[in-house]
Amino acid sequence: MTVNIIYFSIMAFSFRNIMTIFRRAAFSKFNTLSGSELVPSISLLVPAYNEELTVIENVKCLMTLNYPTYEVIVINDGSSDDTLEVLRNEFGLEPLPNPEMRNSIDCQPVNAVYYNPQYPHLYVIDKPNGGKADSLNAGINLSHYPLISSIDADSLLEKDALIRMARMYMENPEETVAIGGDVRIANGCHIENGAVKEVSLPRKMWPMFQAVEYLKAFLGGRIGWSSINGLIIVSGAFGLFRKDYVIAVGGYRGGYPGEDMNIIIKLHRYMLENKLKYRIAFCPEAVCWTQAPDSYRILSNQRKRWGRGNLKNMIENYDMAFKPKYKVMGLLTMPYNIIFEALNPYFKITGLLALIGYTVIDMTHWRILLVFGLVNILSGYLLSIGALLLEELAFKRFNKVSDLARMMLYSALKFFGYAQLGGLWRIQGHIQYLRNNNSWGTMTRQSWKSDNGNTKSA
Amino acid sequence: MEAHLTIAIYFIYVCLVLIGIGIALLFFMKIRHIRIQRKKEFYLQKHQDYFKFIQLHLNGVSALPLPPGSLTKLERRVIQEKSIEWIEQLKGDLREKLITLCQDAGFVQDDIKLLDSLFYGRRIAAAYRLGGMRSAEAVPRLLSMMEQEKYSALTIVLARAISKSAERGDQLKEMLHHLLRHGKPIHNMAADIIMETRLDASRILVKLLEDENSDFVKVALAAMWGQAIPEVVPALDRLVVAEEKDVRAEAVKLYLSSNPVLKDETIRDLMSDSDWEVRATVAKSLGTMHAAGSIPLLRTALQDANWWVRNNSAESLALLGETGFEVLCQIAKHGSGVEREIALYHIERTMLQDGDHQKLDQMVAYNKKKLLYERYFGVSESTKVRQVAAVGGDYTA
Repeated sequence: MTVNIIYFSIMAFSFRNIMTIFRRAAFSKFNTLSGSELVPSISLLVPAYNEELTVIENVKCLMTLNYPTYEVIVINDGSSDDTLEVLRNEFGLEPLPNPEMRNSIDCQPVNAVYYNPQYPHLYVIDKPNGGKADSLNAGINLSHYPLISSIDADSLLEKDALIRMARMYMENPEETVAIGGDVRIANGCHIENGAVKEVSLPRKMWPMFQAVEYLKAFLGGRIGWSSINGLIIVSGAFGLFRKDYVIAVGGYRGGYPGEDMNIIIKLHRYMLENKLKYRIAFCPEAVCWTQAPDSYRILSNQRKRWGRGNLKNMIENYDMAFKPKYKVMGLLTMPYNIIFEALNPYFKITGLLALIGYTVIDMTHWRILLVFGLVNILSGYLLSIGALLLEELAFKRFNKVSDLARMMLYSALKFFGYAQLGGLWRIQGHIQYLRNNNSWGTMTRQSWKSDNGNTKSA
Repeated sequence: MEAHLTIAIYFIYVCLVLIGIGIALLFFMKIRHIRIQRKKEFYLQKHQDYFKFIQLHLNGVSALPLPPGSLTKLERRVIQEKSIEWIEQLKGDLREKLITLCQDAGFVQDDIKLLDSLFYGRRIAAAYRLGGMRSAEAVPRLLSMMEQEKYSALTIVLARAISKSAERGDQLKEMLHHLLRHGKPIHNMAADIIMETRLDASRILVKLLEDENSDFVKVALAAMWGQAIPEVVPALDRLVVAEEKDVRAEAVKLYLSSNPVLKDETIRDLMSDSDWEVRATVAKSLGTMHAAGSIPLLRTALQDANWWVRNNSAESLALLGETGFEVLCQIAKHGSGVEREIALYHIERTMLQDGDHQKLDQMVAYNKKKLLYERYFGVSESTKVRQVAAVGGDYTA
């Protein structure tokens, strides 16, 4: 019941803010701002590991954003495929003889920095494989601007995503330390020249489940959490950060997945311990489209990795829980994440086993099992419907009634198998963590040009 | 247990009812949205000839009419939105004509009425459209709305509407007062907003620069960035020594962008300013001003604690002919630590950039630098890439 109260309260906060978000998005035009010197300059950091199929399209997409001053820094994290070569060939990049790395944060030594004066705002760092966090730290060391934005190499930014985030930053530049963008599933969308031209739902089952899951997490969850400054994660796929604070907390933590959650927890901790006024915001109108895993194997690997990262972050930062000095983070976000996110599958399993046990001992208790099963499913479904309402109130990205019907259907279907698998994957991730298994797992990339349908394992 | 079960059953009923309402609402909203979109498209098609007529007669003497016949509410909204779109794109008389059309058609009056609506959403939407229609008569009402508004993203929407519509400088100043009274350092945003005005921005900015309110001064300094207005030089003379470091930094930036003749003593003072932004700005401008006399100062600044100061100093040295470039070569050859790093970087950057020159004088200058380079580092250019060990702490952003 407690978890439901928290879920519904967060959803209520999301509803409270949704119309402001809608009006902010609808009544802001960026024709002056996107050409203005007054907008802060941003370094886009793009870690890339075996991304030869998608990286060119993504870099081209990033180089044509509606934004006045920014640079794109691609970090090739020791790819075993031709990621570096395709970039060098496409953009005519040559090694810089004496790259100016600012050594603000510890990271592995880089092999080279590639550059072509004809593309003055594009840099490619080549370094040995050291993980996503290490790549981001290397990118920060080369970056020249006060704001950094981390973007996954398999994601596409909408043209005005960055300017929307910058506008939000400019509304309160002193207190804003990070802003998260909305991540949406690109599978099924029509993509042309590195941009989503026509929004559509995925055709396959696994991406479809993720599409409704992302919608619930981002719109139903993050809008609410950010409104009480309790956001614990800014998605690694697209986020904006104040570089000085990222450096002050020692940059991204390597060695484990979940670096996107870790950096946000560190920022909360740093700001609260130093009694600095701050906010970590969420900008749902700044959209990044990403490729969702479309097979069981890849999805399970991703979720196990997330489970590992989440557990590591909770173990590292459990001391923040229940401490009033950490405000919302200490009194709500951390306890919620430890009890209802990290340990959630164990509670569910033990609860279910206990109910089944009662029922087996005394068959007259089958009604109890049914009632509590229904409570679980219906409350979850109600939250999904809430997330769809938020989408419909503010964004209306999907234009067909059939899309809406499909989302409702999959929101219901996910309680019969997919949700249980989610719990299982999380437990498997925890087991991997305890066994010190820290592999990234297999990831497959698919070219954005869906007509040729190239796929590749990374 | 029974009590818990009863609560759970009630909870199920509540969920079922809410789910039912939610689903019904979702379908209603989706179908309504699709219907409105289709109707809008239909009206846009229907009035194609009218829109062409408007475009053809924008230059004419007579006032622009609405299409003949009665118009539905949505039809009027489609025409209004198209007019606002054109008002944003056009300037001068053409824009004025469209503004008059919006007034004559009653769009302005309709939206002014909506400013008194009970619903906040309608009020803010009306304010946005009134800004689009440059409605001067709505400004007093918009200002009072802004006065009552708590600071949020929508305050910016109101501020822009006022800036677009204001017909007097004091209205802009009042808008700025309401915008900045929340104590947020949003001077860049305010500068962007103020530049949307139809009034003579340069005169307003000069007035703001003279104001006692330092927030207004900061907005003016930000808004003037990139513009050389001769009238502001006396004010800038005063502001470059202002106590508030933000004001000083911005004033120095602006002052130096107008290519002033600086005394050696002034340069020395500015290069030892406690604010790194001032030092970095001065260091950058010394290169473009070809202030060869400041080479010793720039050489010292290569050891500055701030990366931007070091970077801009090295960049300026590379721009200051052979003497400046030779200083960089000497440091790269015999120096150490951060000054050597930055010198090496800018030497290689110069060598890379200066390779392709059309003009003879540029080619001669480049060749001289190349000779210097070869004297220090040998004829065969070393293209070996150093392994950069990234350990240490430069904490400047």
